[in-house]
Amino acid sequence: MRSTHWRMLFAALAAMSLALFVAACGDDEETTTGASGSQTTATTEPAEEAKKFEAGTTLGDIQKKGEITIGVKFDVPPFGFKNTSSGEVEGFDIDMGKAVAEALGVKPKFIEAISDNRIPFLEKGTADLILSTMTINEERVGQIAFSDPYFIAKGRILVKKDNADVTGIDTLSGKTVCTALGSTYEATLKSQAPDAKLKLVDSYSECLELLQNDTVEAISTDDVILTGMIIQTGDELKLVGDQLTQEPYGAGIKLGETEFVDFVNETFTKVKEDGRYKASFDKWVGKFTGEEAEPPSISVDEAVELVKQNGK
Amino acid sequence: MPTAFVDILTDNFGEFSSGFWVTVRLVVVAFAIAMVVGTLIGAFRVAPNKWLQRAGGLYVEFFRNIPLLVLLILLFYGLRDKNGPGIPITGFVAGVLGLGLYTAAYIAEALRSGVFSVSKGQIEASLSLGFSYTETMRRIILPQAFRTVISPIGSLIIAMIKNSAVIGVALALDDLLKVGRTIQSRNFQTFETFFWAGVGYLILTGLVTVVIRQLENRYAIKR
Repeated sequence: MRSTHWRMLFAALAAMSLALFVAACGDDEETTTGASGSQTTATTEPAEEAKKFEAGTTLGDIQKKGEITIGVKFDVPPFGFKNTSSGEVEGFDIDMGKAVAEALGVKPKFIEAISDNRIPFLEKGTADLILSTMTINEERVGQIAFSDPYFIAKGRILVKKDNADVTGIDTLSGKTVCTALGSTYEATLKSQAPDAKLKLVDSYSECLELLQNDTVEAISTDDVILTGMIIQTGDELKLVGDQLTQEPYGAGIKLGETEFVDFVNETFTKVKEDGRYKASFDKWVGKFTGEEAEPPSISVDEAVELVKQNGK
Repeated sequence: MPTAFVDILTDNFGEFSSGFWVTVRLVVVAFAIAMVVGTLIGAFRVAPNKWLQRAGGLYVEFFRNIPLLVLLILLFYGLRDKNGPGIPITGFVAGVLGLGLYTAAYIAEALRSGVFSVSKGQIEASLSLGFSYTETMRRIILPQAFRTVISPIGSLIIAMIKNSAVIGVALALDDLLKVGRTIQSRNFQTFETFFWAGVGYLILTGLVTVVIRQLENRYAIKR
């Protein structure tokens, strides 16, 4: 009698765990497609006839699948961040990604790519395209292919408003400064502020948390990201010092995908010309900084040279 | 071994070893906290006073039933929260407290089972010979209890060393694993880099295993 009870209990448990497992898998499927988002950008004309690519090429395969996987930041306003009320990812990078997807005639699927994993994502094919505030630099050019720069950010330092000690890069000695693992600022800070203590974390939202609770005294990264933090915290923080670096952002593509790179460049040129660039810039950046949209018109090589000038 | 492996270690040796020492310091301090608090709570659990027993039980149930990661985040981000307590606790202190208090709950339970393994007759005999309860515990029961639980406590210490790996990444502290993350973010040689981080933990757990074996051979009650 007793042993049958146990057997029944065991069978019930096994059935339950199986059900949970199946449910968990199904759920996963659901969220990945859900992340693709239904709305398109607030753009002008309806999608023109998308250029068709041959099967077997990367772009052809993407068209066949009907979906392009784009790695973006989920926590970096105003470039890529999750809108807490709608659950959709939004931002300038997202708009650029939607433009590429639209030009291909496919649906965009946005996945989270943090500074540290975005290059492996391309190498492993987890993402087809990376649009995550990624600076074009010499080291990365050897690892992945870049589109022409679509934005040029400037490196700055962010501190709390009541901080009177840190006024620029030369006042960081002995201070703790936060930036993201795998970002270009690790090298920038090491060369320009060798006596600063670095705190390297996974995401800029973690940096912000650490600044707010006084674990670090400053954050150093691109001005647009820092501006996003100022907006997010309701004016508790301020930018200090001069511009440290210039950071030309490029879209990342797997090395060797020349056709893909050309296509993205063509799309960006169109976006810059037909007003979509300006609309997106004004919505995400200009509204807060008062700046005018200035789409960069330099090549990848020129961008690499620009970055080399940083810190000199 | 392929040169790529060796290069990763030699190129980043300074960083690896500084991370290793951070982990060693974390583990040593957390171990001290775990043993002191664990013994105290273990004693509460077997105390004759019902309220002490309940307090001990509450401690064990709390610290054993919340995830270590949650405890660490609560102690660091929670305590530092400007809109909350606003206590300027450092990542290191939060890390050793979290890991120490968490492990203490398990140590307390191990000790309690050790005490219960000593036959009740010994307590009765000791009390009837005029020893006080505290003396009975300290001189008769606990020495035997500790000897019974050497190997379970050894397993707990090894688990604690492994659990310490959560601290660095969670609290932005440059311990062995976090240093590995930093190095990997620069070279993208994921396998090689984390291989060496793993070796670092193996060295620590290996040393502890040897010490525990020695203690077992010398003190453990052979049955």
